[in-house]
Amino acid sequence: MNLSPFGIGLIVFSGVLFVFLIAYGFKVHHGMHRSIFSSPYTVWMILFTVVPLFLIGYYAFTDVNGKFTLENFANFWDSNREMKRQLIGMGFSLEEMGMTARGSVNVDTLVYSLKMAFGCTVICLLLGYPAALLIADRKFKLGPTIIILFIIPMWMNFLLRTIAWMSLLEDNGLINSLMTRLGLPKLKLMYNTRAVLLGMVYNYLPFMVFPIYNALSKQDVRLSEAAQDLGANNFLTFWRVVFPLSMPGIVSGITMVFMPSVTTFFIPRVLGGGNTEMFGDLIERTFLTADNWNVGSALSLLMMVLILMSISLLRKVDPEGEGGSFV
Amino acid sequence: MEVSNRLIDLQNITKIYGETEVLSDINLYIRKNEFLTLLGPSGCGKTTTLRIIGGFEYPTKGRVIFDGKDITNDPPYKRRVNTVFQKYALFPHLNVYDNIAFGLRIAKMDKKQIALKVGKMLELVNLQGYEKRSVDSLSGGQQQRIAIARALVNEPEVLLLDEPLAALDLKLRKGMQLELKRMQQALGITFVFVTHDQEEALTMSDTIAVMRDGKIHQIDTPKHIYDEPKSAYIANFIGESNIIRGTMIQDELVHFCGQDFVCVDSGFDKNEEVDVLIRPEDLHIVGTDVAQLTGLVKSVLFKGVHYEMIIEAGGFEWKVHSTVMAPEGSQVGLSVIPFDIHIMRVEKEESDPGGEE
Repeated sequence: MNLSPFGIGLIVFSGVLFVFLIAYGFKVHHGMHRSIFSSPYTVWMILFTVVPLFLIGYYAFTDVNGKFTLENFANFWDSNREMKRQLIGMGFSLEEMGMTARGSVNVDTLVYSLKMAFGCTVICLLLGYPAALLIADRKFKLGPTIIILFIIPMWMNFLLRTIAWMSLLEDNGLINSLMTRLGLPKLKLMYNTRAVLLGMVYNYLPFMVFPIYNALSKQDVRLSEAAQDLGANNFLTFWRVVFPLSMPGIVSGITMVFMPSVTTFFIPRVLGGGNTEMFGDLIERTFLTADNWNVGSALSLLMMVLILMSISLLRKVDPEGEGGSFV
Repeated sequence: MEVSNRLIDLQNITKIYGETEVLSDINLYIRKNEFLTLLGPSGCGKTTTLRIIGGFEYPTKGRVIFDGKDITNDPPYKRRVNTVFQKYALFPHLNVYDNIAFGLRIAKMDKKQIALKVGKMLELVNLQGYEKRSVDSLSGGQQQRIAIARALVNEPEVLLLDEPLAALDLKLRKGMQLELKRMQQALGITFVFVTHDQEEALTMSDTIAVMRDGKIHQIDTPKHIYDEPKSAYIANFIGESNIIRGTMIQDELVHFCGQDFVCVDSGFDKNEEVDVLIRPEDLHIVGTDVAQLTGLVKSVLFKGVHYEMIIEAGGFEWKVHSTVMAPEGSQVGLSVIPFDIHIMRVEKEESDPGGEE
């Protein structure tokens, strides 16, 4: 990585900002204030979040020589652009070579990622809501046990958890050897979209269950009793009172599943076997394999904008963000 | 009392949570149009009794009869009763109008009629024009009235109220007491009211059931409960009282403080040990020459309407309420008329009387 004067400038700027913040704190509070205790965190944030963000912005809008360009974004639209440019530079004619077509890999991957994330979110919601409802039910004695069962796998790294699925789904994995034992034909469980979706749902389901559980368990039982008292049977009580009041939890669950789903990486590679590249993998590949930091940054930036847009959309449904208190 | 007049009949209700018996063998009936109050300290089982009538709890033993039908195992939504909950339990996601209309919409009433009924209810509780307000924006007293409107709009035969005034300040509470009594009389609905506030119970009820440790201790009109408490416990719980141990010499003659007093009670054994109750306002300060007891004024407190004096006489500290003040340290005489001396049987186990007041 070769830092340009611009990048160095950014680091210097953040240092100055930090000193200024502390000095400002002193001035406003006439001496040392408790806010000073947040300074290690502030430094950390500036160095490892704010500065990298600026760097991504910097790379996304510059070329290899550090000059301003929108070429990287054009590259997102037409993934063959760079190649075409080189071919033209070598004196070839694109028409003659039949290379005029747009390279749609990047856009297609994004669309595929969005579809997968949408599917994963819907499945998580359908599985997670009833689960949360059950766990939050005070009469259900196994609730705390189930919560622990949900949490324990989260102590493990998600890469390990995903790899563990391989040994279950493989052609000679646990499930298939069981099938053979029972005299049933082997199943093709891995290296397809379904396996990727399974891995995603498995990894992100807790993020749906917990916010909803949180919203449900905070609900006053008296409200359900009041609904029953006013003539609502169990279904109407759920539909008219319990469900609408759990909306903040649903919104926060959807946010927490959808965001990491769109940016999922590694899972598609392990369980999908490269047939199912998602946007997270594409960004990683662009940075590390293609070694193109500029296009990689542009892709990251697009992803970020997309996520920010979806958050602000969800915020409109749940302005207070109550359900998010779990996170 | 005729059986047909009983709207709700609780028969041998026992409720056990784990190993604790919350209610033991409660028998209680509620008449049509009656204002019945379940009164007792917290933990006495009054709320549990109400919740059993409402259908939120099911009794371990016993039956709930409503209008001649056994409803013991009916869920709340099948019962013709509505509840005003302790902390109102208004739906926070609905505005005032939708809260009140909730029950009517469940009953699939048509929109025009709902609008009409909700409007009338808002008028009844004096909150016209609040339809679109969110319930969070209302004060405690207003939320209280919406909760009452939400229950009453369904025209229940019985309205259950679980300490509905507990969260209101004194002045608002007094106002709401009268308001509730007025509504009950105007609408002709049976009210079952739960409270730990004896004054509230005395003000509003037709009948008071005093509960203690999961049992009904005494059930009677407010006046009888005050004038003829069955035990020292009830005397202490309802109103203020002087309770002293005495001995029944014979019918209508009781001995305490080393003297014999004429009273109006009879039917006790000869020389039976009894509890003697004299209300503070029934002790009169008189000249020492005509007094039944003489004593020393130990303290004087001004209470607004009256003075509260502690007077030591006959080896007992008497609480005396009087509009006439006797100065601290002075020697005064006390007298009480036979009618105001109440004799009560001594309870078997002596436990801490009074409640959380």
